[in-house]
Amino acid sequence: MLSELKKSLRKLLKIFKRKKQIQLGFYGPVNAGKTTLANRISLDWLGKEVGTVSEVPHETRHVQKIENIVVTTNNGELRMNIVDMPGIATQVDYKSFKAFGMSEEEAKARAREATKGVIEAIKWLDNVDAVLVVLDSTQDPYTQVNVTIIGNLEARGIPMIIVANKIDLPEAQPESIANAFPQHVVVPISAATGENIEKLYEAIQEHLT
Amino acid sequence: MEIQLDFVSAETLARKGSAEKISFILDKIKRNIIVVLEEALEPQEEAELIEATMREIDTEEFHGIEFYRIDSRAKGLREKIAEYIAGRRHGLTIVGPTRLIEAIKREPDYISMLAKVDVPEEEKRKRGRKKKGGK
Ligand SMILES: Nc1nc2c(ncn2[C@@H]2O[C@H](COP(=O)(O)OP(=O)(O)O)[C@@H](O)[C@H]2O)c(=O)[nH]1
Ligand SMILES: [Mg+2]
Repeated sequence: MLSELKKSLRKLLKIFKRKKQIQLGFYGPVNAGKTTLANRISLDWLGKEVGTVSEVPHETRHVQKIENIVVTTNNGELRMNIVDMPGIATQVDYKSFKAFGMSEEEAKARAREATKGVIEAIKWLDNVDAVLVVLDSTQDPYTQVNVTIIGNLEARGIPMIIVANKIDLPEAQPESIANAFPQHVVVPISAATGENIEKLYEAIQEHLT
Repeated sequence: MEIQLDFVSAETLARKGSAEKISFILDKIKRNIIVVLEEALEPQEEAELIEATMREIDTEEFHGIEFYRIDSRAKGLREKIAEYIAGRRHGLTIVGPTRLIEAIKREPDYISMLAKVDVPEEEKRKRGRKKKGGK
């Protein structure tokens, strides 16, 4: 009863403070699938891809903005700007890029850009309304990088949804992400195949607008 | 090859502001010292630590850090107030250079840190130089 009342009150409040468009940041560790997800959403609703996806770490080294996306779901329209961030890391070793066939110089240049990208992503925390924390379901969720990202969003009062990505892979364990962060909404998806992406839109509508 | 661990008391840390604390930690890390802090860093301090680390990374010597925060679990109102007054959060934070720390992993009952005993970076560089010279 009381919770129902609270809910409708919150809905009412939402109508007043609802922004026309939310600025939705994609945060997460490197290679979790942030750009793949941004591309899928962009392709579905704007008809074009925007970013380069790669198995090479730190492919996204600048903040990438996709503006004026209007998604239609069962519950109406969802308007947003997506801000695809470089992945957060505590280390960047240029030698790891050389393993992907880059020259010494290319690898060093990429490493320098990657460090700047991490700083840029952290600075952007002040400019987003809500965040999707994109994690790779095949990896151990309880890393310091994940804890730091989520801790910073909590401390700043930025609403978030945790996206447990790559559920198309047989070794995916989205439930271990839910266990690691029980205080947050976790939506398992595959950005690659599009599985469950509708659920994600609905969750964004319900929790982040 | 020796490994040096420095333990920093909560009192020492309490005397430092965030920025001072971060440069104090990074200064040690860059000298290949693993640091154990007698407090849990705040999330914002962790973000500052990552930012500062990214600024310090150079391609030759310093490639970044590994760190891990361990929070004390019991968090009643009284403890929270006590922590607020003391200006710090109970727990531990381990920070070290990636060249020394292979991994810090959370196991169900403990935190495990895997350190390297040799510094392969230097070895590789030396070998690299020899190869070039031989050509
Ligand atoms: N199997 C699978 N692979 C994915 C998925 N999403 C991303 N990837 C792959 O993961 C790698 C990193 O993706 P990317 O979008 O660049 O990650 P980002 O660094 O978080 O932006 C690429 O090789 C992608 O093809 C997914 O849902 N399933
Ligand atoms: Mg990317």
